[in-house]
Amino acid sequence: MILLIAAAWIGLSLAEKRAERHGVSKEDLNNITFYSLVALILGGRVFFVLQNLSAFVKSPLGIFSINPDLFEPTGAFAAAGVVALIYGQRRSLKFWSTLDALAPFFSILAIGLGLSHLASGAFFGKETALPFAIDLWNAARHPTQIYETLAALLTFGLVWRIEKNQPPGFLFLAFAALTALSQLVIQAFRADAAVIFNGVIQGQVVAWFALALCFVLFEFRFKQAQNG
Amino acid sequence: MKKTQRLVLYVFILTLGAAWIAYAANFTSASGNTSAPQTGFTAPDFMLQSIDGKTYALSEFKGSAVLVNLWATWCPPCRAEMPAIEKMYREYQDQGFVVLAVNMTYQDDSAAVLPFAQEYNLTFPILLDEKSVVGSAYQLRSLPTSYFINRAGVISEVVVGGPMAEALLRTRIEQILK
Repeated sequence: MILLIAAAWIGLSLAEKRAERHGVSKEDLNNITFYSLVALILGGRVFFVLQNLSAFVKSPLGIFSINPDLFEPTGAFAAAGVVALIYGQRRSLKFWSTLDALAPFFSILAIGLGLSHLASGAFFGKETALPFAIDLWNAARHPTQIYETLAALLTFGLVWRIEKNQPPGFLFLAFAALTALSQLVIQAFRADAAVIFNGVIQGQVVAWFALALCFVLFEFRFKQAQNG
Repeated sequence: MKKTQRLVLYVFILTLGAAWIAYAANFTSASGNTSAPQTGFTAPDFMLQSIDGKTYALSEFKGSAVLVNLWATWCPPCRAEMPAIEKMYREYQDQGFVVLAVNMTYQDDSAAVLPFAQEYNLTFPILLDEKSVVGSAYQLRSLPTSYFINRAGVISEVVVGGPMAEALLRTRIEQILK
């Protein structure tokens, strides 16, 4: 948790430095991040309560518990996205430019996520005899958390170096495509990955579709840039 | 890069990605057979004496939903969550729910354990870990830590820290009772 908070702070500081390059003010960048984070926390709790309504009917005070495990991530991200969209619309922020301005923030957050997995032992790898295996959970395993962190570092490096004169949305889509690609590769080495059928890993399938969507959106952005 | 070149690159990457998914499906392995104190693994077995002198082994409870709660009398969140654990134990024990509250006696005052159990009217087994048997096997990092173990003996959820809210306990218990 501390690593994620630190990553969010560093990511936001870096994003602020280049926000105006994308036509987004520092104030708007800070506000959209702050409101989305609040929505993330509240949305995560509200969706968890709705998902486990019978438990909360019996123990209603649990709704206000400080326990962070009472959290539903999908609902949390949906709530954060909706709040960001509402804020962006009210402030007349350009959709793709705002996402570009936030790309360094997301990239640093991805590095923080990898490091937090490494610290907690989550996202652990399959057993292996490779010389760079790490000893974790009573076995020598693929250091999937290190793969994840290195991939996120590389993604950040590339996103940070992309030149200014790209069509709006290019920076964010580059981040999203590189993240999807790295997940497509790394998920295969996870021991705790959810399997859909015949050994096919759910995370890889999701990453593949996300990558395909990024490619479609890349073309869409190029086409709009040529027309506009 | 021209549009045609880009399209060829997209198709190439996506084809390679699909092939990688198919290849990875052949070496998917479950983590359930290995024992480790982590979600998805078989819970490490242990055998300890309770405060009333009986011996309990985790493996005895295969087929039941088990909450292994690691705690100490000096730890405020451990104390705070005990009434909720007791309440849930009474409510769900008929459905096959078991609580094994393992006192970290090697870092606690053993004389304080029985009065604590009496003060809170605890009816589930309180086990004494005098030599860090469970503390080491479960790689204890923080107190309290709770392991929700399903009927197959696999850890379904680990909650580090506390106190756990009654609603959280209820959702996790109903999950492992399935």
